[in-house]
Amino acid sequence: MTRRILLLAGALALGAVAFSGDRFWLQFLGKAMIGCILAMSLDLLVGFTGLVSLAHSAFFGLAAYALAGVTNRLGLVNPLLTFPVCLLAAAAAALIIGWLSLRATGVYFIMVTLAFTQMLFYLFNDSPALGGSDGLYVSQRPVDSRAAAYVAIWAALVLAYLLLARILRAPYGRALEGIRGNEQRMRSLGYPTRRYKLVAFVIAGTLAGVAGYLDATLYGFVNPAQLGWRQSGLILVTVLLGGKGTLYGPALGALLLAFIEHYGERVTEHWNALIAALIIGVVLFLPRGLAGLVQGGRRA
Amino acid sequence: MPEPLLRTEALTRRFGALAALDEVSLEFEEGRVHAVIGPNGAGKSTFLNLLSGELRATQGRVRFRGLDVTRATPDELSRLGIGRSYQTANLFPELSCADCAWLAAQSRLPSSMRFLRPAERYAEVGDRAARALEVCGLSGRRPALAGQLSYGEQRQLEIAMMLATEPTLLLLDEPLAGLGHDEALRVVALLTEVARGRTVILVEHDMEAVFSISDTVTVLVDGRVLEKGSPDQVRNSAAVREAYLGEEIA
Repeated sequence: MTRRILLLAGALALGAVAFSGDRFWLQFLGKAMIGCILAMSLDLLVGFTGLVSLAHSAFFGLAAYALAGVTNRLGLVNPLLTFPVCLLAAAAAALIIGWLSLRATGVYFIMVTLAFTQMLFYLFNDSPALGGSDGLYVSQRPVDSRAAAYVAIWAALVLAYLLLARILRAPYGRALEGIRGNEQRMRSLGYPTRRYKLVAFVIAGTLAGVAGYLDATLYGFVNPAQLGWRQSGLILVTVLLGGKGTLYGPALGALLLAFIEHYGERVTEHWNALIAALIIGVVLFLPRGLAGLVQGGRRA
Repeated sequence: MPEPLLRTEALTRRFGALAALDEVSLEFEEGRVHAVIGPNGAGKSTFLNLLSGELRATQGRVRFRGLDVTRATPDELSRLGIGRSYQTANLFPELSCADCAWLAAQSRLPSSMRFLRPAERYAEVGDRAARALEVCGLSGRRPALAGQLSYGEQRQLEIAMMLATEPTLLLLDEPLAGLGHDEALRVVALLTEVARGRTVILVEHDMEAVFSISDTVTVLVDGRVLEKGSPDQVRNSAAVREAYLGEEIA
């Protein structure tokens, strides 16, 4: 109960920032909330299904590149048009990559998702037509004002949370929990588990696409580093830091990392070492991440 | 003669040069308890794993209600109505008893690809899970984590999960293995109850239990059928006594 109130208060506070009109905070918190969407959607795979994917940044990047593509080449700007097109691109990529990757399990699954991410990275990085290593500008953003982009990101975050929470309470979510616990037994109980995992992979990939679309909207710029595996690794770390399998934990982790990155930079240029130390500390002493602190002894 | 519920035709499984199961043709009639016994390495587990789809047959066929299911996967077989329990507890250790039974019961929804309505509102699933737990004497243990149950209770939960899928044919893999005397008695009573009116294929080491529960007994030795018949016929068979030389029969 207290957790719900805290989440609601946090969401309202983030929403209220939209009225401040402060350039820095809109940009900073907008970026942080995009990180929240990424971390929560990856948590569906890592925390609830037991699938460690390193392809998450690929769907983020593909949706961002899709926006640059349809805007620059086809002249499409209207978000009612570009948003579904970009999501479809991310979903289609997730379907194909997921379908192929899920033939492998365990560490092999991780390696296959990593390989796809690298493939896409080099595809964009090495093709001048796709912007090369410099990336691409989005010639005209779907929403012009920074405040409007912020509100869109905030709404997407709230909706993504509600959607994921809902799915996880439904029979489908229970089935994912069973797959995480004992996939072989789930099969013998009559669940075609690979199909369930593929659907989770596509849902998560599509939400990563939402994040990518919003990121390109906020910055008006995409570059290949955004879809490289380092980015995937960072999202994974965020999930672990926040507490996998809790949904709100990874979102907290993303906010915390954004603040550390920003203020750490002022304190020391070695702020990455700060983050590393924090992560080691959390993994060693808080196996359930930051969410473990909020929850106390209870289970989600 | 009516078509048996399950029939194997020259069912064979080789591991390299070894034929773990060698041209086994058997019929399992509806509503009866069929035991499959045999010394270690006789092919009993292989046989059960072939029936539940966990292993692929090298040769031969399996027919369930006349349907060729030789190549079916475990989830397809489960949905066709073949349920199984496992010898070593194969549960969801981090879930409660109630949730384990729930997952089993939920598998009988036409599909669990349901994303919006909260699971607990599917009352029929909850009822099915509750019934299975009650039959298996676990109603009082609903909140307990599966991983923290006693050995005997884990076996009861195994059977509850199988029952919650409402199978037509029950495959029981050594349900008494490793149980202490009292626990074994409790599980035998449960099996007797469960077997009533159902079709069961029981693989078991405990001869006393096998002969008391079963209608027919098949003896496997070295992957082949050595003998089959009523418990009395098998108990008195010279060939069986020889195969079990040194082992006590009933």
